[in-house]
Amino acid sequence: MAREAVYDSARRGHPAVEEIRGAIKYRHLILQLVRRDVLTRYKRSVLGVAWTLLNPLGMMVVLTIAFSNIFRFQTPYSYSAYVLSGLLAWTFFAQTTTAAMVNLVWGGGLLNRIYIPRSSFALAAIGTGLVNLALATIPLLFILLYARVPINQSIFFLPVPVILLAGFSLGLGLFISTLAVYFPDVAEMYQIIVTAWMYLTPIIYPEEVIPEQFRLWITTLNPMYYLIHLFRLPVYYARLPTWEEMLPAILVSIVVLCAGWWFFSKKSDEFAYRI
Amino acid sequence: MSSLIASKYRDISAAASTSDEEVIRLENVWVQYRVPQERIGTFKEYAIRWLQGRVRHRSFWALKNVSLSVRRGEVFGLIGPNGAGKSTLLKLVAQVLRPTRGRVLVHGRVAPLLEIGAGFHPELTGRENVLLNGAMLGFTRREMEKKLQSIVEFAELGDFIDAPLRTYSSGMWARLGFAVATDTQPEILIIDEILSVGDEAFQHKSLERIQSFKAQGATILLVSHSMAMIEQMCQRAAWLDHGEVIASGDATAVVDRYLGRVRDDEGKRLAQESAQVPVNRWGDRTMEITRVSIQNAQNVEQHVFHTGETLVLRIDYLAHQPLDSPTIGVAIHRQDGVHITGPNTDFAGMDLGRVEGAGSVLYIIPELTLLEGLYNISVSAHNHDDTQMYDYHDRLYPFRVDNRGHNIRERYGLMTLKGQWRRLS
Repeated sequence: MAREAVYDSARRGHPAVEEIRGAIKYRHLILQLVRRDVLTRYKRSVLGVAWTLLNPLGMMVVLTIAFSNIFRFQTPYSYSAYVLSGLLAWTFFAQTTTAAMVNLVWGGGLLNRIYIPRSSFALAAIGTGLVNLALATIPLLFILLYARVPINQSIFFLPVPVILLAGFSLGLGLFISTLAVYFPDVAEMYQIIVTAWMYLTPIIYPEEVIPEQFRLWITTLNPMYYLIHLFRLPVYYARLPTWEEMLPAILVSIVVLCAGWWFFSKKSDEFAYRI
Repeated sequence: MSSLIASKYRDISAAASTSDEEVIRLENVWVQYRVPQERIGTFKEYAIRWLQGRVRHRSFWALKNVSLSVRRGEVFGLIGPNGAGKSTLLKLVAQVLRPTRGRVLVHGRVAPLLEIGAGFHPELTGRENVLLNGAMLGFTRREMEKKLQSIVEFAELGDFIDAPLRTYSSGMWARLGFAVATDTQPEILIIDEILSVGDEAFQHKSLERIQSFKAQGATILLVSHSMAMIEQMCQRAAWLDHGEVIASGDATAVVDRYLGRVRDDEGKRLAQESAQVPVNRWGDRTMEITRVSIQNAQNVEQHVFHTGETLVLRIDYLAHQPLDSPTIGVAIHRQDGVHITGPNTDFAGMDLGRVEGAGSVLYIIPELTLLEGLYNISVSAHNHDDTQMYDYHDRLYPFRVDNRGHNIRERYGLMTLKGQWRRLS
């Protein structure tokens, strides 16, 4: 035959590589999915985009009242700014991983009938999360100014921790969405885990209050600790990270991303008859 | 879909040209599914079983050594019972599944006709959904925006295109889905039994579009349980059963063979039912009905008939003592209990006279007027005054009327009255 086959099942690279190729080829779809998620989120609510901004702000106000005034946590600068910066990073992580899972299960009917890169849903979840995070940075800046947290040029470093956080979230999101295809209860279990995990990460309390015997678990062995800390550095502490602060975050992000991607693409061939 | 519409297009489809160029090719394809032996619903359960080492997987072959080749511009049908592997085959072509063994080659862009709603989001407007759906088929936003006008026109949506999809009727959803899938001009269109959606006028339009598609050299892979549809639309077809290709080639020939098998299977099943010990039987058995056989004109036992065929009912009896003028009767009911007829020898003016020992009578229906359905025959033997029941077999002998593959010009209701149509003006 003169024409080359558009699709030949015999000529196929490693699933993980194929998945990357597919995602690049279908970037328009991923953009459309992000668009859909952003549009549908704001379409039927009166306050629209304001919700993205109000949600963490409201949480911040409540937490500030509870912890700054009642428990009297000591933080270098305003507690409100401390808690908000941590919450934004955490919300990004919790929302994107959950959305990756929910979107895949929702889109399962499609994956059965039409070829689209199966990672599209997780990638779109990250994209939507980034849009929301970018919007939520605006009130953060106001709070920083209001609380007189010094802001300097190190704030331009912020995209780096965001990218590392996105990589970690994508890897974990792919991993749990694979599990969710096989077991519907994973989605509920994950909500419990995320809540517990949040309280076991220094987000609403300063790391200084952690008793020595828990340090190992809450900081050293907790990947989210490094990522949240790295996110806070340029905005809250107004300084660039040291290499000791950078390296674990980079390592954790790359390892989880690669492992999640590999696991997902290895299992995704079964999705067509499992979803 | 009504055959009226489909038949109108038969001529066009026959005229459409097919080249020898191969667009889909399956070479010795095997597909294995690996599923847990017992359904494990939760992760917790799985974890516990896994720790106990009790997670076992069962694998089965959904397709076994399937080789097929579909040429450019043809409509290729896939038929077979549920679970035969038709959908698996479609998934291979749609590149959703990969063969466990063998090779699948596809030349050209594939678009499936998605079932209503799949891929649509109710909160988004029709326009947004078109763009999203287009992206799933591999088109950019800009490319889809160019097609938008013709999609809106074809789907007859008008201003609704800017309303959220949740305000659409189901017909509008279906029309939009069809319009998007076909307006993107795929080289290979996969249709999995969905042309039954929408009203007749839209089905009409849909078929027209499919034909124009073919005329442009597109290839269509069609799965349907409607044999009329397959025969009318397809040049070639393949019959799958338990993952294997039983027959492939000329669509009419494959459909005929398939229907033959379906009829045989049903005949066997009905014969088995007939052979079972009658429980719906009463009477004092002074005169016993020993055997009832449903036969065709050649006096061969048969259980599946078509309208217009001769049906012969043979009733064998044994009178254990001499009886004067007993009556033998028959009743035919449709499966849902509608009593169709109840003739007997006495009404017919037939006197059996003095009966002793074994004997037989025939009840002959020269041309069966019943339309498609399942029917049951009852047989009785009683005395002339109908005061003493000798033997009664209540609805024990089933037969089916099945007109698939026969040119029967009526389809609704119980029976044909053989009425004629005449035009006056």
